Amino acid sequence: MGKKRKHSETQAVEPKKKDEGAPERPKRTLMGWKDKEEVQAQTDSNSESPQVFRNKEKVMVTCSRRINYRYRHLMLNLVSLLPHCKKDNKVESRSSKGATLNELIELRGCSSALFFECRKHQDLYMWMARCPNGPSVKFLVNAVHTMEELKLTGNHLKGSRPLLTFSRNFEKDAHWKLLKEMIIQIFGTPKEHRKSKPYHDHVFVFSIVDDHIWFRNYQISVPHNESDKMVRGGLDKMTLVEVGPRFCLNPIKIFAGSFGGPTLYENPFYVSPNQIRALEKRKKAGKYAKKVKAKTRRKMHEQSNPLEPDEFADMWRE
Amino acid sequence: MGPRSKDLSLLQVENNVEDDADDVIDDPSEEEESESESESEQEDVKLMEPSKTAIYNREGLVERLEDISWPENVDWMHKLSLDIDQEKEVDVNDDLARELAFYTQALEGTRLAFEKFESMGLPFLRPPDYYAEMVKTDAHMQKVKGKLLAQKRQIEEAEERRKSREAKRIAKEVQAEKLKERAKQKKQEIEEVKKWRKQRQQSGFKDGKDSMPDFGFEDGKSFERSSKKRPGVSPWDRSGGKAKQGGGKGNDKNKKNRDFRDSKFGFGGKKGMKKQNTAETTNDFRAFNKGGAAGNKKRKR
Repeated sequence: MGKKRKHSETQAVEPKKKDEGAPERPKRTLMGWKDKEEVQAQTDSNSESPQVFRNKEKVMVTCSRRINYRYRHLMLNLVSLLPHCKKDNKVESRSSKGATLNELIELRGCSSALFFECRKHQDLYMWMARCPNGPSVKFLVNAVHTMEELKLTGNHLKGSRPLLTFSRNFEKDAHWKLLKEMIIQIFGTPKEHRKSKPYHDHVFVFSIVDDHIWFRNYQISVPHNESDKMVRGGLDKMTLVEVGPRFCLNPIKIFAGSFGGPTLYENPFYVSPNQIRALEKRKKAGKYAKKVKAKTRRKMHEQSNPLEPDEFADMWRE
Repeated sequence: MGPRSKDLSLLQVENNVEDDADDVIDDPSEEEESESESESEQEDVKLMEPSKTAIYNREGLVERLEDISWPENVDWMHKLSLDIDQEKEVDVNDDLARELAFYTQALEGTRLAFEKFESMGLPFLRPPDYYAEMVKTDAHMQKVKGKLLAQKRQIEEAEERRKSREAKRIAKEVQAEKLKERAKQKKQEIEEVKKWRKQRQQSGFKDGKDSMPDFGFEDGKSFERSSKKRPGVSPWDRSGGKAKQGGGKGNDKNKKNRDFRDSKFGFGGKKGMKKQNTAETTNDFRAFNKGGAAGNKKRKR
């Protein structure tokens, strides 16, 4: 996969449509290429048939045990948004997490995975991995709002293919480009998937703000007066209603292998939530010590600079 | 754990340097991820400067990208991805601006996609008669609708309450005005009559009817005013229509009874206007219970 096709071949492909299955047939084409070259070209691009690219992406979605209710609902929302996913049971993994997960993915025959790991019942980490030997990313998930919130009022077809919009800063750096490609492959529904529905009525928004990836899902609603499929002049009256869910991803590390392997990228600004909590506690703990120190300092200061005697001190004394 | 401890020391060193001042870190907000009904910004703390030991393997990243990406000539229809320009930097902490930026990005993307689809001649929007399973259940959407309607109703009620308060205040003022006006009118008329009488007295009662000034109250206009106040009240009704009021919740039987007795005796009504024991009133049984005590009185009820 990923091999560039020679320019001449792409032009030659159209008239040759019928000859896919039997390359030995004498070439009755108008242009007259050599047989050998065509055969070689065909065997070179093995993984895809010459004209048709089929997106056979399957995503496995699992979570760890002891996951919070909010994050479990987020996972279920994502399962309903991606018709090409398979939800698996909770993974009980303390040690050798990578190996277990890789095996599971192989077992289900999936090509990617989304793994939700909840630590201390408070922090949610999301892994996006490409199965056989592809790269994997670990994110910290913030600001989670699920689809069940009543303020998110939109609704769309279950399984319709989403439009993916990315902000321009995904092209700025190599790691963002890699993330963009992974997101397209995981979150985009394959074209002729069995469970996909024909129309496009929702949009995903992935945008990088402050080095975080923000996700939003909107329903496209256009007021219909006629029963036409294309609404004339409807472009101006198109509104978007938010469907949910919402979350914000903070990339922590990118690994070369699936759930492990050499680190390709580490976020220099990332502070783990454990450290933040520890810092807060330490700040609070210092309060008493600081107070005592301030007191002794004041005492020293008073001793070293004595006040001059007050003239009126004896005025009222008997 | 090398790099991690280093991060911590970085943070801590800065803490110690400014001992008595306030804290150093950019975002002193405590991170809370599990809760947050509030739509808050990123809640974690960032390091002041990037950690020196962060790995960035650009070649590796590019290589991986090549590995996983789809071939170049794949139709846009498979990817359905759009790149939108972001005009200006959005502050993360400003919720409204941030959401607005996301919304405009989505809207732009949809417009571009719509144009592309139209040029390819493919269906884009869902027709209104296409019914299929939606991602949120109907029951959930009912709840959403209920909440929206409740909100709207609340707002409307608040509006109405405010308006009625205003209207009441104004009506009260107008009423006070009217009362004052009426009192003034009355006083004026009495004064006029007094003056006329004095005049007549002074001139010795010798004029004919010609010099009688026209009083404002001589035509029947003052009577007309009172008939508007309580409709359906006859002028000989001494109770002034109040006999019919009250007791909208009473039983039919009791109300009829009560009504009859009120109109006869209530509010000092109809005394001295009629004879009491006539042939008609002897046979008048409106005040008694209809067939009330028929039957055996010994039977306990």
